[in-house]
Amino acid sequence: MFQGLANGFGIAFSLTNLTFALIGAVLGTIVGILPGLGPAATISLLLPLSFKIASPVTSIIMMAGIFYGAMYGGSTTSILVNIPGEAASVVTCIDGYQMALKGRAGPALGIAAIGSFIAGTIGVIGLTFVAPPLAEFALKFGPPEYFALTLLGLLMATLLGGTSVVKSLIMVVLGLLLGSVGLDPISGAIRFTWGFFMLQEGVDFVTLAMGMFGIGEILINLEKELTTELVTRKITHLWPTLKDWAESKWAILRGSFIGFFIGILPGGGAVISSLVSYAVEKKVSKHPEEFGKGAIQGVAGPESANNSAASTSFIPLLTLGIPGNASIAMIFAALLIQGVQPGPFLITEHPDVFWGVVASMYIGNVMLLILNLPMVGMWVQLLRVPYAILAPIIVLFCCIGVYSIRNTVFDIWVMGIFGVIGYFFRKVDMEPGHLILAFVLGPILERSLRQALLISAGSPFIFFSRPISGAMMGFLILFILIQIVRAVRGERLKAE
Amino acid sequence: MEKDKKSSLAWILCLFLLIPVTVGAAEKFPTKPIEIVVPFAAGGSTDVLARLVAKYAPKTFDKPLVIVNKPGGGGVTGTEGVVRSKADGYSLYLGYGSGHDLVTPHFQKLPYETFIDLIPVCRLSVHSVAMIIRADAPYKTLKEFVEWGKKREQVTASVSTKAGSVDITFQALGKATGLKIVTVPFRGGAEAVTAIVGGQTDSGGNHPSEIISHIKAKRLIPIAVALEQRDPAIPDVPTFKELGYNVVTVGSVKGVAAPKGTPPEVIGYLAEGFKKVCEDPEFVKSMKDIGQPVMYLGPADFGKYLQSGFEQYGKLIKEFNIKLE
Amino acid sequence: MGRVKHPGPGFLPFGLALCLIILSLALIFKNLKGDNSSTPFWPQRTWLRPLLGVAILIFFAFVVEWVGFLITTFIFLMIWMGVIERVRWRTIISVSIGTTAALYLIFALLLDVPLPMGFLKW
Repeated sequence: MFQGLANGFGIAFSLTNLTFALIGAVLGTIVGILPGLGPAATISLLLPLSFKIASPVTSIIMMAGIFYGAMYGGSTTSILVNIPGEAASVVTCIDGYQMALKGRAGPALGIAAIGSFIAGTIGVIGLTFVAPPLAEFALKFGPPEYFALTLLGLLMATLLGGTSVVKSLIMVVLGLLLGSVGLDPISGAIRFTWGFFMLQEGVDFVTLAMGMFGIGEILINLEKELTTELVTRKITHLWPTLKDWAESKWAILRGSFIGFFIGILPGGGAVISSLVSYAVEKKVSKHPEEFGKGAIQGVAGPESANNSAASTSFIPLLTLGIPGNASIAMIFAALLIQGVQPGPFLITEHPDVFWGVVASMYIGNVMLLILNLPMVGMWVQLLRVPYAILAPIIVLFCCIGVYSIRNTVFDIWVMGIFGVIGYFFRKVDMEPGHLILAFVLGPILERSLRQALLISAGSPFIFFSRPISGAMMGFLILFILIQIVRAVRGERLKAE
Repeated sequence: MEKDKKSSLAWILCLFLLIPVTVGAAEKFPTKPIEIVVPFAAGGSTDVLARLVAKYAPKTFDKPLVIVNKPGGGGVTGTEGVVRSKADGYSLYLGYGSGHDLVTPHFQKLPYETFIDLIPVCRLSVHSVAMIIRADAPYKTLKEFVEWGKKREQVTASVSTKAGSVDITFQALGKATGLKIVTVPFRGGAEAVTAIVGGQTDSGGNHPSEIISHIKAKRLIPIAVALEQRDPAIPDVPTFKELGYNVVTVGSVKGVAAPKGTPPEVIGYLAEGFKKVCEDPEFVKSMKDIGQPVMYLGPADFGKYLQSGFEQYGKLIKEFNIKLE
Repeated sequence: MGRVKHPGPGFLPFGLALCLIILSLALIFKNLKGDNSSTPFWPQRTWLRPLLGVAILIFFAFVVEWVGFLITTFIFLMIWMGVIERVRWRTIISVSIGTTAALYLIFALLLDVPLPMGFLKW
């Protein structure tokens, strides 16, 4: 194994491979920052190019670079303008944007980059040493397990705070309803599309996010006559202070491990990891009331989680031949076309591909750190632009981004509608964050539930009889009970 | 007078110059890259086929083939896009003969007429429906599976999409064997494979290309295939017919189609080009490695094949009384 | 809708709608019970600027495929900065031109994203 890794480094350090790793990383970062275009779409655009490149290793290195590069870039817009680039960055918006508003965008971006680096590297270490057994573990996750996991995630989402429990719950319910728009995969029935063919695939996440977070935020800001910059408080240090570091280091580590395990699971790994990480950080923090107002752990944890999830999502691909998400599926296809079968034999039949890619991921993470840290200063300057100019530019970015997904203006309309809705939500103090998370997790939840019930012939026992889901459900029930007990006790104390 | 003569001369010259331009417009097809629409997500078996074809196409086509994914609506969205595009041969649909072409019209009305609004160009491959089980299952053949299944309340089969070619095949199998087969839909072939590999269901239905690596790794065993004759990609696997169950389909056919009204010469050129790609030994080898048999058929034969495949599904649905829940 | 053991497609939406009704009622009750001070929704006609923003957005969506990305973007920026905000003329022009060019460069040229070109084929 070390032999393999050493070989891999040899391959990865070739000039060609280094160059392509860099190209991938830079492209990925740009794509992650820009709304709309995602790593999956970019990789598919570059597929034909990859045939012209001689060896499969090189093309995979580049595509992998795009993928985890996008994870680094996604947090940038979340922190700066409260617009999540993809589902995994939604959680970062919560505290990240608050930090930016307080003039601490620099430390936020910095800690996100550092955390991502550490987490990404930990993920790759996992890839190196424990890939095959981990993959086997991932296989045991069937519909009941996904149901339990998503339920856990959804529960964590409700813990995200906000002004009132009732309001948060309403947002969750709305999010779940929005998630059910479109073709239902289990029954083939079409729901809530009102004859709009464009809605058959459901509402697109990016459209919803751009609308509710981006446009909605801008509309509400228009109410105040902001002639100056968005951030009026003096922008303090550009870098995270030692204090920041001390506060975040455990969050980073915890996030890395959470993302590590949950990331291996096909479908939804990064989002759920970021959620769980946020909830965990809030629970273990000595100052939970800080969360939602700019607690740096709220950025450090989830960002680390989604980056290590990005690394470990390669595991099912490289060891079992099972792609876990759209970007990885693209890489899967590229491998196939190049004549490399991703599967259990990949390590033995094509060790240069496996180890070359793994080694390049180590290097890629370093490259991204070096790329992103200096750019922090540049990004922070962006906040100095007068809002009068910044706002329409942001709106334009959103419009183009949304248009680029399916080349149709229909999506711009949908985004606009969500923007207005988001505006009204903010007026009545309802957080769109809960809605969007429920929107993402809801379909998985419902699908897994129905698949599980099909398998068990209608018996709900299946959720408890299987070891993994049983454990998760047990934990869930315990958790809920504790919350209830606490709430009751709290009431009693108040009454006394 | 001088000026007038000069300007009229100029005009005549321009007119002459126009001639090569108009002639150029009727230049040999193709004059620009050809767009191939795959109405499924990138990375799937149809997409891989398309990209493989595009990789070897430059040897026979004068302009490159550009693959565009337009997933949605089970394949209907992208297909409709081609139906509505200009019939000049620059926008083609790859995947003609898939589930939404041969199966869905028996249950739902589509926004276009599959066999009228599209012209067959050629067949490239056939993705049969194979029944697979885990290597460590307590049954090793279809016969054993049926015996095992009869003792249970239900058996489960992971399938890729509700009411797709795989789903219908298994429902027919259920009726033919007398077993209660519950099909569990997943989002696409890859998810369905993950499910059966992980043992979440008792059996699975997939195309050979989706499981070839798992077969090689001896994790999954195909026990039957729903074709008239054995699938060249998995020649050792018996057909359902051989095993006594009259469940025969054409699986999911992968061919190329052009919108109605495309000129015959263009179709001819395209069919020839694809034929040469299918005869390229490197292409054949690559296809074999990924479990997709190269099965070329020209436009006329392909059209007939599709029609009979469509009717076959219709008969199957009727005979086994398959309904969409 | 299916039975509980075998949920159909209508199951979830129905259940959710039910939850929504209950929660909304809860919210209304809470507000009725609580303090009766109410802040105006839109003090001092603050609704004007967001409305203008929405109007320009609608304009953009309507016009962009017809007239093309470049022109529409330019007009969009001009109107926003000129009408909604009050920015100096020089700044408006320079930012409008600069941004339109930059967006075109990044999206159309660098990333090869198809943008609506309109009848001018620009």
